[in-house]
Amino acid sequence: MNEARLRSLLREAPIPVSEDSERRGLEVLEAALAEREPRRAPVTSPRRLALALAVAALLGALLLSPAGAAVRDWVDDVLTTAPRPGPGLAKIPGGGRLLVQSRSGPWVVQADGSRRLLGNFEEATWSPRGLYVAAASGRTLTALKPDGTPRWSLSAAAPVSDPRWSPSGYRIAYRSGGGLRVTDANGTRDRLIDPAIAPVAPAWSPLGLSQLAYVGADGSLRFADGESRRMIERARALPGIKRLEWAGETLLEASATALQLRSISVSKLAQGIEVGPPRGLPLPAGATVRDATLSPDGEKVASVLGVRGRLGPRGLVVVFDDGGGGRRLFNAPGRLSEVAWAPHGGRLLIAWPSTDQWLFLPTGRGEGRSVSEVSAAFAPGARVASFPRIEGWCCSGWIGQRG
Amino acid sequence: MREAQGGSRSALAALYAAHWRRAHRAAYLIVHDAAVAEDVAQDAFLAAVGALDRFDRRRPFAPWLHRIVANRAIDWARREALRRRVDGAGEREQLARPPEGLGEDVMEALAELPAEQRAAIVLRYLLDYTPGEIAGMLDLPRGTVNSRLRRALDRLGTQLEAER
Repeated sequence: MNEARLRSLLREAPIPVSEDSERRGLEVLEAALAEREPRRAPVTSPRRLALALAVAALLGALLLSPAGAAVRDWVDDVLTTAPRPGPGLAKIPGGGRLLVQSRSGPWVVQADGSRRLLGNFEEATWSPRGLYVAAASGRTLTALKPDGTPRWSLSAAAPVSDPRWSPSGYRIAYRSGGGLRVTDANGTRDRLIDPAIAPVAPAWSPLGLSQLAYVGADGSLRFADGESRRMIERARALPGIKRLEWAGETLLEASATALQLRSISVSKLAQGIEVGPPRGLPLPAGATVRDATLSPDGEKVASVLGVRGRLGPRGLVVVFDDGGGGRRLFNAPGRLSEVAWAPHGGRLLIAWPSTDQWLFLPTGRGEGRSVSEVSAAFAPGARVASFPRIEGWCCSGWIGQRG
Repeated sequence: MREAQGGSRSALAALYAAHWRRAHRAAYLIVHDAAVAEDVAQDAFLAAVGALDRFDRRRPFAPWLHRIVANRAIDWARREALRRRVDGAGEREQLARPPEGLGEDVMEALAELPAEQRAAIVLRYLLDYTPGEIAGMLDLPRGTVNSRLRRALDRLGTQLEAER
């Protein structure tokens, strides 16, 4: 056989291809294009650069001088008093958009505080750029625009819960019928990944790849490929795990009484995923974990803990760094229920149902802000309003630029 | 290309129509699995679309796409080979059988080659890249590409001769 014949055979030999694969691929591609935002080149004028350098020099001088010692202490201090409550939800401190679940359904809150109810859904999640929302209601998974316009719906055989949009924007994982399923982001190619998993939301690889982590029905921590459906790796999960998150190269597991981290290394070649040993985070004695979440870069964990004080229950906000060291950021009487990172880190949203407030706290320098009368903001006209759940603070960026 | 970068759906559809079949064929000839080939080709397009903003319009689109296809297909084939070694299972054997007809013997002989050699053959003889270009696409020394091509052609020739 000569090279010309080999060429001709490679080009003409029939290969198996399903009739609609080309169309299906184009639909997924179009959905991905819609999800993409054009990149803007950073604008750095000489004047801005000079200003930034001057500010940096001034800060350096302040922190290193004897007088600056007070500034440094203040930076590291625990913020013990709550910010003065602000009037209603006039704007989101730090910007971005919130997805909030109330009894009547999910709401999108714009940076200026304006908000829109998306419909009668039980839970919702942002797409990575915040151009869409995936919402679950009964046995239906729906993708809709943040203005409430539905794009597609998918009917499952069993109730749908815990939808999670992959960081690449191309896939959505969700739980249904006790199993884990993945659909393409245009609602096609719905497939079963694992028939029996624990009631814990899955976590996608933050690298924009198709791997995802989840907890098996037997309590094992599992890593599977959302495309090929193959199991890649498994390890022992934190007993009683109720939350799983994956950001940067870190996996967070949270139970009602413990937090632990693992390093996750994803190999592009044959080795797959390397799961590091668990590293427990030190919690105050008797503390319960109300909520915990990884920063967008995976290098910090913000946690909301419940402790019993002399005068009753108290809430603690503790931020752990990558080395496991914890720093108490805030403590307050009553109950703190949830925590969410701002899209670019640096600020936390804390839910404080006991006082019907949201707190927007900086993790470093800066003043905290508080928003009062949160329940009523998401229950217009209702006599009794319940405190809403924070589904997400959008958006930390798109990581799906591969190849 | 410029219109696709600007978000035009029709331009994207045109780009897709121009490149999908070759990308899919290349993927199939490396992975020898119809479903995986579809995923690899789709994944490569998605990666390309994801990085459109970074793409230099002065350069042709096809080599960029083919580079992604070839590397992802090789990655998959390596993982699959490892998985087979670990699991000892041949569950994909039935998928490796191409449709009967023209070139069936070539397909089977090609499937017997290591993935790296298959990729070199596909890039050289299906997509018409030079060994130097293939070296750039696979991030290999040119000599390695030449030796892979030589070994692959020898093995293909031997197997096909043996079957006659």
